[in-house]
Amino acid sequence: MHIADGILSAPVLAAGFGGTVVIAAATMRKMDLDEIPKVSVMAAVFFVANLIHIPIGPTSIHFILNGLVGVILGPRAFAAIMLGVILQAFLFGFGGVTVIGVNCVMLGGGALIAYFIWQMRHRFPSGDRLEMVFGAIAGAVGVSFSGVILAAALFTSGDEFWATAGYALAAHVPALIIEAIVVGACVTFLKKARPDMLAGHVQKTYNKSVA
Amino acid sequence: MSFDIDRFSHIESSVQRWDPRIKILSLGIFIFVVALLKTLPVAVASLFIAIIIIKITNIPFHFVANSIKVIIVFLAPFFFMLPFSYPGEAAFHIIGLPFAWEGLRLAILIFTKAVTIVLTTNAIFGSSRFDISMIALQSLKCPKLLVQMILFTYRYIFVFMDEVRRMEKAMRSKGFVMKANMNTLHTMGNFVGALLIRSFERTSRVYSAMLSKGYVGELHSMVRFEAHGKDFVKAVLVLMLTFAVLAADLIRVFTPAIKGWY
Repeated sequence: MHIADGILSAPVLAAGFGGTVVIAAATMRKMDLDEIPKVSVMAAVFFVANLIHIPIGPTSIHFILNGLVGVILGPRAFAAIMLGVILQAFLFGFGGVTVIGVNCVMLGGGALIAYFIWQMRHRFPSGDRLEMVFGAIAGAVGVSFSGVILAAALFTSGDEFWATAGYALAAHVPALIIEAIVVGACVTFLKKARPDMLAGHVQKTYNKSVA
Repeated sequence: MSFDIDRFSHIESSVQRWDPRIKILSLGIFIFVVALLKTLPVAVASLFIAIIIIKITNIPFHFVANSIKVIIVFLAPFFFMLPFSYPGEAAFHIIGLPFAWEGLRLAILIFTKAVTIVLTTNAIFGSSRFDISMIALQSLKCPKLLVQMILFTYRYIFVFMDEVRRMEKAMRSKGFVMKANMNTLHTMGNFVGALLIRSFERTSRVYSAMLSKGYVGELHSMVRFEAHGKDFVKAVLVLMLTFAVLAADLIRVFTPAIKGWY
């Protein structure tokens, strides 16, 4: 979930920008020319996906999918999320310009954690449902991390926001479940159609055996 | 939903003629100061300043209203939560929940600031062509790589919105209805996956085309910025207003000695 302008205090905003600069520098090191289109595409998909709403009772919830970005791009996911957040703020006030830093750390950090969890699948024997399970967990963890950072940002901005911080955390529980299912389904689809798009994909080499 | 924020950048007005670099810098400073305001009357004053700026750009209100709608959706929870959860004494109780005026005041303050900032952002990016704004950012020392990626992503957003609309039509024509159940989520997962694959394949074709035309990592542009005296005058005006707003907020000019509405 993004946070809007005018809520957080100055130190939190500064920490957001500082954190973004540090993480961006670390993950965008030696970025190849070929990676620019791929990262931009993922950023645009993230942007567009954030606009899709699922009606839940009287309200609706929109997709976040930062876990999916992490699963596909790996470390460059932070750059893609950063692009998405910047354009969302510039183009129609989704999120806010002063909180671009905080939103990047929130969502981009979640993407990186999701990638980290996704890579742990290598420790398990490859199976039918391995990608789906790890994709689902990565998606859920990506969103949960964002929720925790959002709650922390609200919490440290003043005691008048403590209740809102709790609500923000609670609001991520249905999001968690939805993201897990959607990312799991997406990863299963990609595994069948284009497995090389998933980060950390190990190409199976077949030994040319002589008869 | 359309994202061509620079649709009205061709209008002739004082703000549209402003050098984009100086415009972004001055209004950017204004935005950051507004974000940190703490008193409501000063926030309302800054809202008026933003309204005046948008009026000068002649961007029609219905265009900006979209962003304001987004803000309302974002901040609605705060309006409901802050009055009932504000630490301190409650003025009265509604169905058992303590209601504090300070909470409502804070919610209104946040809303005013957010609307001010979104109006100013629309003024900044709606008054120049978007790619020119991004090149202006580059002259303001934003990393070249980032600006390039922003421009690519900006272009792809429109492509993908078309793609999404096409795929949505196809899904609806096959009887798909968006509900909160497993089938919907599964379908959305496959939808995003299909969108991703089409996008990646499209982008590898686009990239090959760009390489074959000599792309080596730099977008060359014929844009030249020229700052005239008038641009600096506008900047000084905005900065003076910003300073006045900041000072009024810091010395609490409008706060009465007793605890009140503000």
